[in-house]
Amino acid sequence: MSAAWRLLADDGAGAAEGLALDEALMGRYARGEPDRPPTLRLYSYRNHCALVGRYQSLAAEVDLAACRRTGTEVSRRLTGGGAIVMGSGQLGIAYVDRAPAGQRPREIIENFSAALAAGLARLGIVASFHGKNDLEVGGRKIAGLGLYVDPRDAMLFHASVLGDLDVEFMLQVLQIPAAKLADRAAAAVAERLTTVTAETGRSHDAATLRPAIASGFAAAFGVVMEPGVPDESELERADWLATERYRSQSWLSERNVAGDAGGSAVIKTPAGLARIYLTTSGDLVKSAVMAGDYNVLPPAVVAMEAGLRWRRLDEEVIAAVVADSKVAEALGVPAERIVAAVREAGCDALRRAQVEPAGVEGQRPVSEPS
Amino acid sequence: MERTELVIVSGFALALDRRYHAETHMWVLLTEPDRVRIGMDPLGIETSGTLAQLSFDPVGSELTAGRPFGQLEAAKFVGPLVSPVSGTVLAVNDAAAVDAGLTERDPYGSGWLIEASLSDATGELQGLLENAAEITTWFTAKLADYRRMGVIAQ
Repeated sequence: MSAAWRLLADDGAGAAEGLALDEALMGRYARGEPDRPPTLRLYSYRNHCALVGRYQSLAAEVDLAACRRTGTEVSRRLTGGGAIVMGSGQLGIAYVDRAPAGQRPREIIENFSAALAAGLARLGIVASFHGKNDLEVGGRKIAGLGLYVDPRDAMLFHASVLGDLDVEFMLQVLQIPAAKLADRAAAAVAERLTTVTAETGRSHDAATLRPAIASGFAAAFGVVMEPGVPDESELERADWLATERYRSQSWLSERNVAGDAGGSAVIKTPAGLARIYLTTSGDLVKSAVMAGDYNVLPPAVVAMEAGLRWRRLDEEVIAAVVADSKVAEALGVPAERIVAAVREAGCDALRRAQVEPAGVEGQRPVSEPS
Repeated sequence: MERTELVIVSGFALALDRRYHAETHMWVLLTEPDRVRIGMDPLGIETSGTLAQLSFDPVGSELTAGRPFGQLEAAKFVGPLVSPVSGTVLAVNDAAAVDAGLTERDPYGSGWLIEASLSDATGELQGLLENAAEITTWFTAKLADYRRMGVIAQ
């Protein structure tokens, strides 16, 4: 007989409330708590919520004035990764359990990625995971994911699946320099993302994704799902966490020691000017976008962007990524010029980080949208 | 500190002058009879994901084997740095806290994490891998496992 997991489903969570319930659920799996089956929560946020990663700067990643104007709630996840917009079109996934002894983070992430891909396969979508990137379809992100293990060995796997996405709205509330400055902002972002709706040609949202994802997880882990609800103690704990953590100024104002920073540099190509945008933390590239006036986004550009993510700004490393991606050949530009531009963008980001060092940036008070 | 002699196992450096905690991939180097330096081996780093940030409990904190002494942020992962021994934190590597890349570049040297006094020098150290042959066998087997599972590139 297969093991049973508790399956929770809910919609319309607020930013703080949604994240608080995830943490409250996770807390029941900490060392010293009674053993219990894992919980899989498949849920959606209310339109709309902007959630930044564990170590991102809220003020740098989110346009807080736009959030206030559009009634978009904001908060910070326990898990790492980039800023996202959540609403009824995106399915939030929270899996909680005791962290498996002896398994490394990348092993665990691989397993959950496979389960997520199995869920999408039920909708006819072939998605793949390549270690440091997101779950992708043909090189385009369809789901973001992250893993958190707390000091008491409780584990939270987070994912967000793009059922549908209003890219124009996302660009309003998130600070995406590459998109803000590019001529074809929405197109530049849209070329690097895809949705279940776009892939299947049928309208999808969190509610329509839920059965497929639940089924994919059940099959991948060989378990059955038993629908349930959070118990009173979990709800009480979630209420407390929403107030004390996820709406608190100290939590919203956190950021990492190095501080994420953005920089850019221009590259001349035969087809016109292109610009490479990097988001870095110290000498680490967290994201890379090369925006240009492409008729069709060259796969080599996507390959270079993916290759640069989570790599250090070392000349040899950059040169190897550029060579492997074949972006120089695709754009008709000497590889050395692209390598130099990537380094220049990195230096620009470093300069900006030094101008606005961690902890002293203009962190405006964040109030709940009225 | 003397230059560390390394052997290369399928492309990964392995120092044989110290002890290892097999599950957490932490190494423990005895620097004095009751004082150790602690760091993470390259397989531990690689299977965590590219390191973005390291933070450590402050000097003077109590250290318990199997419990966290800090936190790491890596690509897709945020989680605890777990201590292989018990004692008291005597020093933290501020350079690694500022630049986690240091731990990737030089995991056995300048990328160390913390130094600690030991509360149970004989007992806990005996539970770690110490013999060069058993360390090499363990490291080789783990590397093969991780490659087979696809969490480390072939």
